[in-house]
Amino acid sequence: MLTTGFKLWFGLCMAAVMAAVFAGYTSGATETGPISVGWKGGIGNHVSYVIIMSAAAGLALVGLIAVAFRDADAAAQAEVLGIDEAPEAQAVVGNSLWPIFGALGIGAMAVGLVVHPAIFVTGLCILVAVGVEWTMTNWSEKVSGDAEANATARENLMRPIEIPVLGTIGIGVLVLAVSRVLLTSSVNGAVVVATIAGLVVFGGAMAISKRPEMPRRAVRGILFVGCVAVLLAGILSAVNGEREFHQIGGGASDDDAQVETDH
Amino acid sequence: MTTTDSDGSSTAVEEAITSTDPVTLSKVWGMGGMTAVLVGLVAGLLVSLERLDLESAGIFGSGDELFQFWSAHRVALVLLGVLPILVALGTTIVPKQCGANTLLFPRAAAFACWTWLIGAGMTVVGFLVDGGLGTPDGGGQRQATALTLMGILLVIGGLMVATMCILSTILSGRAAGMGLGDIGYLSWTTLVSGTIWLGMLPVLAANAVLAYVDLRGRPAVRFGAEDAIWEQLSWVFTHPAIYLLALPVLGIALDVISSATGSEPANRGVLLVSTAAFGFLSFGAYAQTFFDTPGTPIMEEAIYVLAAFAIVPVALVVLGGVLDLLRRGGSDLGSSAPAPVALSVIAVLLTVAGTVLGALRVVAPWDLLETSVTGAHFTLVVGAAIIGSVAGLSHWGEDLLGSPGFPGLMLLGGLAAALGVALIGAADAVSGFLGQADFTGVDLATAGYPDSATGALNTVSTLGAAAFLIAGLIWMVGGVRHLAADSEGAG
Repeated sequence: MLTTGFKLWFGLCMAAVMAAVFAGYTSGATETGPISVGWKGGIGNHVSYVIIMSAAAGLALVGLIAVAFRDADAAAQAEVLGIDEAPEAQAVVGNSLWPIFGALGIGAMAVGLVVHPAIFVTGLCILVAVGVEWTMTNWSEKVSGDAEANATARENLMRPIEIPVLGTIGIGVLVLAVSRVLLTSSVNGAVVVATIAGLVVFGGAMAISKRPEMPRRAVRGILFVGCVAVLLAGILSAVNGEREFHQIGGGASDDDAQVETDH
Repeated sequence: MTTTDSDGSSTAVEEAITSTDPVTLSKVWGMGGMTAVLVGLVAGLLVSLERLDLESAGIFGSGDELFQFWSAHRVALVLLGVLPILVALGTTIVPKQCGANTLLFPRAAAFACWTWLIGAGMTVVGFLVDGGLGTPDGGGQRQATALTLMGILLVIGGLMVATMCILSTILSGRAAGMGLGDIGYLSWTTLVSGTIWLGMLPVLAANAVLAYVDLRGRPAVRFGAEDAIWEQLSWVFTHPAIYLLALPVLGIALDVISSATGSEPANRGVLLVSTAAFGFLSFGAYAQTFFDTPGTPIMEEAIYVLAAFAIVPVALVVLGGVLDLLRRGGSDLGSSAPAPVALSVIAVLLTVAGTVLGALRVVAPWDLLETSVTGAHFTLVVGAAIIGSVAGLSHWGEDLLGSPGFPGLMLLGGLAAALGVALIGAADAVSGFLGQADFTGVDLATAGYPDSATGALNTVSTLGAAAFLIAGLIWMVGGVRHLAADSEGAG
């Protein structure tokens, strides 16, 4: 018996084939061109003919898959699996960071293509990392029927990789951002900035350690805001550019012979 | 940090950005789409105001600036507005109609949602920084134009992945015993339109890639020339592709009225076939005027003209189904029809009006293809899609947010929108017959030296654009209040 899906898609396919042939004949094709897909003669307007015929091919494929798998009916799935009742097609999954990070990666790549290759590479790195993480998450969800055991299996495998890698990247990015701020500031300003930043970090850590009852949410919020502030300061400083460095004795290339001047 | 199953300590923002719950994703799609509709309506009103004086630039500095807003109006309404709102309904309502416990591939659906949102942001920024989809005199910023094209590509990618998730749910997530022919009308029309979208959006993406690659070269050879980009993408904003926006709205209307009247359409099979035919006739990727060869302009070819006429009886069949439902179950509606029913009927009527105008537009002796009849046609069909989508959001508001929302506000907005769409559609259609060009520019030559009567008609059209914008604002207020009530309820 032909399924509803087959009737829909194969019907659309047949209509598309007829439309392509009609479009060919009414746009200057030869007698046999449109019905032989261009093998025996011209097909008229190439763009319309090729696009409609390609759509027909795609629809034919979907129609055939639909009839082969009985429109993916639950009864047909159960029969293939050899069980009385097909399981739910999709288990409810928890929240996940990977979709939004994946989208950010793709967005960064897109912006990078237009603005600067470094942003493109950053986006690509994010996307690769998300791809690995997302894959491992999916793998772990199929380890067993116990969600907790699956989460443990995932953590056992990925935590030894994630923590050092993310830690390194995080430290690197923060160091880079802070260095941009210091290089933008004047000589004395850099000292002041470094002193204040150190005091803020030290004081904040002290305050948090004195209040162990502080909610995790608040601690995470403080860390998040702090990181964003440092990153923003780093980006703005990088855009602003470094202060000027003048060399002693003009022409000397020895780094030791440099002095810094305020501007 | 990986699969962050809610442990109760996550903040609302964390919940929102990491959620794979279809309802949460629908809120993002829906609010994002409605915001884009508002942006599009603002751009449309500004363009209408500029048209009040066809001889010189009033609001905008040049024809190029006007063109950026004119094209932004269409992009915002179609790719950033209506399609996402339809995806919002498909993400939440379609699984329920199919008896699925949730949307299939929920993480991919979340990925699609955020990708679309980022792409939409890039597109809007691209337009705002003097980019957009090219300009007639090449006065835009090349890099900003490139950014707009990349944004459009992300938007297309997001819409495609979301569509695949919805179609997979219809196919594989149906409850036992429910055949593909037994699903709700919204699900059926989403299945058909989703199939056609998946056939058309890659072609649009290919157009955008071609334009982008050439634009980045110096100088652009052909596809990336600033005065050529819009023409390559414009097929998606006109007949026949534009009808695809109205197809799910026909499904919404049938479901809404069927539910309100408590009766089923007499000829379900006919309606299923009609809506499938409507979808087929909406396939518009072939209608690429940019690739016309001498002597065979696609918009004058038989396939294009035939599709424009063939879709009219198909739309009338669906209208017949709607009227049959109202006739048989109208007594159950009481003295005043519920807001979603009224909005659905308005949407179907506007769709039929749009198909009729689309058929008139391709009559060769009248030479209307480049006139403002094209804009009127766009407004009627897209207006129908927006009003129908709001009818769906209002009807299924309780499923989406747990409370019925503000049907009075939705109806008020719908009536204002219907008035606005009717005024714009009628005025622009008549102006088109009087020779006014679709894009009027800032001088009479670009406007096509229309009859002097178009001045009054453009005033009417501007009033319509203002009414449509007011409708959008009313809906936005209703939507935000609904969301706020939902948040308070959850709290």
